[in-house]
Amino acid sequence: MKKNRGKFVFILITVALSFYFLYPTYKDYKLTKELRLLTGADSVKFLEEHDAEIRDAKGRRIKLGLDLQGGMRVVLEVNVLKLLEDLAKNKDDNFTSAMAEVKGEAAVSDLDVMDLLVKKFQEKELRLSRYYGAIRDNESDVEIKLRDETTNAIDRAMEIVRNRVDQYGVSEPSIQKQGGRRIIVELPGVTKEAEVRQLLQGTALLEFKLLIEPEIAAKVYEAVDKTMAGKPLNDSASADTTTKTAAADTTMGDTSLASLTQDQAKQEEQAKKDHPFFFLANTANTSGENWNGQLYTLEENRGKVNEILARPEIQRLLPADMSFVWSAKPAFNEGKKFYTLFAVKKTAELTGGVIVKATATIDPTYNSPVVDMEMNSEGSKAWARITGANVKKRIAIIMDNACFSAPTVISKITGGRSQITGMENVEEAKLLEIVLKAGALPAPVDIIQQASVGASLGEDSIRKGVISSLLAFGLTILFMIVYYRTGGAMADVALLLNLLFTLAVLAGFQGTLTLPGIAGIILTMAVAVDANVLIYERIREESITGKTLSASIDAGFSKAFTAIFDSNLTTFITGVILYNFGTGPVKGFALTLMVGIVASMFSAIVITRVIFDSMVERGKTINFG
Amino acid sequence: MRFFQKTYIDFMGRRKMWYAFSLSIIAIGMISIPLKGGLDFGLDFTGGTEIVAQFSSAPDAGEVRAMMDKAGFLKSEIKTFGEPTRLLIRTQTAGEGTVVGDKIRAALLETFKDLNPRILEEEKIGAKVGAELRRDAFFAIVFSLFAILMYVAFRFKFIYGVGAVVALFHDVLVTLGMISIIDGVSPFLNFEIDQNMIAAFLTLVGLSVNDTVVIFDRIRENQKIHRSMGLGELMNKSLNETLSRTLITNGTIFAVIMVLFFWGGEVNRGFAFALLIGSITGTYSSIYVASAIVLDFTNRKSSRKTSAVTTGTPEYEAVK
Repeated sequence: MKKNRGKFVFILITVALSFYFLYPTYKDYKLTKELRLLTGADSVKFLEEHDAEIRDAKGRRIKLGLDLQGGMRVVLEVNVLKLLEDLAKNKDDNFTSAMAEVKGEAAVSDLDVMDLLVKKFQEKELRLSRYYGAIRDNESDVEIKLRDETTNAIDRAMEIVRNRVDQYGVSEPSIQKQGGRRIIVELPGVTKEAEVRQLLQGTALLEFKLLIEPEIAAKVYEAVDKTMAGKPLNDSASADTTTKTAAADTTMGDTSLASLTQDQAKQEEQAKKDHPFFFLANTANTSGENWNGQLYTLEENRGKVNEILARPEIQRLLPADMSFVWSAKPAFNEGKKFYTLFAVKKTAELTGGVIVKATATIDPTYNSPVVDMEMNSEGSKAWARITGANVKKRIAIIMDNACFSAPTVISKITGGRSQITGMENVEEAKLLEIVLKAGALPAPVDIIQQASVGASLGEDSIRKGVISSLLAFGLTILFMIVYYRTGGAMADVALLLNLLFTLAVLAGFQGTLTLPGIAGIILTMAVAVDANVLIYERIREESITGKTLSASIDAGFSKAFTAIFDSNLTTFITGVILYNFGTGPVKGFALTLMVGIVASMFSAIVITRVIFDSMVERGKTINFG
Repeated sequence: MRFFQKTYIDFMGRRKMWYAFSLSIIAIGMISIPLKGGLDFGLDFTGGTEIVAQFSSAPDAGEVRAMMDKAGFLKSEIKTFGEPTRLLIRTQTAGEGTVVGDKIRAALLETFKDLNPRILEEEKIGAKVGAELRRDAFFAIVFSLFAILMYVAFRFKFIYGVGAVVALFHDVLVTLGMISIIDGVSPFLNFEIDQNMIAAFLTLVGLSVNDTVVIFDRIRENQKIHRSMGLGELMNKSLNETLSRTLITNGTIFAVIMVLFFWGGEVNRGFAFALLIGSITGTYSSIYVASAIVLDFTNRKSSRKTSAVTTGTPEYEAVK
């Protein structure tokens, strides 16, 4: 044991780490199982009590791919052609016919649409600047600007899609950019295809809406709270539920969380009854004098607040021209996610179509991020009127019914150029730029690939996949013991650890387990068995030549090493290439293959070795069959 | 327990016969491809729309086809998927958005109202994406073969790399041929070349090279010990020494894949079949392709060298 103490400690640490990474997965499984046994009010209560635990476990467990879980996968592509058509001004017959030809060519060509357009324009001796810039603009400048516009379109489309998916409220959506044109959206558990399709396509709607003044909003909210007092909340209406600790947090620093005594718990229970609305949506400051009119709500309570506001008795309380929007992005306080509720006028003052330009820059005087916004002449006139009439009031920038910012009007803005200040960082400014542009220059997207995996097919295949894997695994384990005796049993220990490591790495790196991924795991098991077989066959060969047990083990391990190393490395190389070139299912397979190979080398070479050495040291004989 | 005692099989002596065997197997497989009307490519590579529907009892495939023709999708493919009551319907038409899928869906619900059709899966892939996925898969295979060639050439000798890669080509071609034959002959097994199948091919490439490298490693080791031994004899010795391991490991892998093949479900079946063939041909090719090629190449090189010394007579050769 002495010479291997370092290795032994290292193995223990690895095993402990693996359990640590896998614990959330186990916990999620256990909680889900418990929840399944409960019904009705019991399940609601269970959800309330274990809310934090469930969220935490869900966030850190091994993610299941769509093939195992069911759901929708949509690949969107920015329609550059449509974008170019939308961007053009002064369209005439020449332009339309050129565009039609480009469209025809794009359908069969692999070339970039922009390249095709430039070529076509040169052929027809048309000038880009005639449609995409001013007459005097340099042709190549216009081209560069246009190319920029098409590449930026993906960012706008991403933001639009992300925003809509967030509003739709899917748990664990995945939205990824693929290459320069495509967005892959994965929505686990979602089956309403038509709804999702509608959600993802269609142009974004950008609106400027006036915020309801805080004094009026305060009165309305108080009336809402009063009406709701004593009424039970319809808990089952949404899966989102409150927990006591989370609710205590809504007061945003007013109450100290640290000492939540029984007394406080009681007070809270009372507060929940007396002020159900403010309990869910808090004003964040108690004085009320300089209240900005915003309410803050925990992420999980949004559904409840929406439910309250939609009730007919509440709707009757509201002024005719009042509606509500949530902030697009959450704010974080003490590790909790909060969304802001804004009360706005129902009718929009302006829509995004009037915006010509939006740029995020750094203001040199204050060295702070700002967004410059420019409107067309028609928009400028309206903007001057609106800002003139609403100085010191706030106008929200709303895209697809989510509020991205609500700046205050400092003074009347004539000429159509405005500057938005007060952003926290450059990212926020950049986001606002994208949003403002998205309203003005839509980023048309096409669904180019869509797959919906029914959960039933997913369940069926997961069951079969798991059963067959277990069967194969069991057979292998049994065979190793029968054929290699003690050695085989040790190899089985290594094999089990190998499985543990592979799953732990998947959980730790937020990998996704797919059906081909399971196949990949089975194959790495085969590779791991091979490593052990190589070693044992070598040990047998060596012991036939008359070496002692410990010398045979030494020779067996060291001679088998190059074979294991070279053969595993070649398989690993294939894995790397697959991971980089493959998409979707193939990638999942490559990931588990790579992880598994590293784990198998570790378990076959280091772990079994340490076990053997310590056994030999204690004078035990090891039977290799 | 021990299955294999020390063996003295002359593997390399019969290699010419096995060359002929390999070539004829490949030839049969390759001929079968055009005979059955080309390889069956999956939706990923062809593009189009695909729907998997579950019926309460098996519908008549002819009626489904008639329904598809009526809906305007000629030349659609209809096959059972796993069980007789589950159908996969596919057309090469992709269409804008999801119009095609919607049409098929509507037609199904109308025509087979009594069979209570339920859509389990719907997938649409644009033709351009299909072409891209084909290209990516091609590059993935070419690059991994090249990487393997370079690695083996670097760790051993260049000709070993060539031998390993030729063996891999052999395995891929044999498996492809087998897939084509079984797909053409059996009415129950539908093997398509799709992304999962590409993953299977790359896995069998990985397993086969794994096996080859283990044998090469033993040859390399024996070369250092038995310096005077001829390469043919050396190879036979190494192959016999590793035979036990070769059969144990590959036997285990074969058994594991058998389980996947029979109980792994429809989605995994094509994948498992490719690996099943691959694990056999991968084992075989390590001996009769990879090692044999290295031996023949080395022999020819050394015979050229020796012939230059012994037959010193000048010769005329025709110049074209």
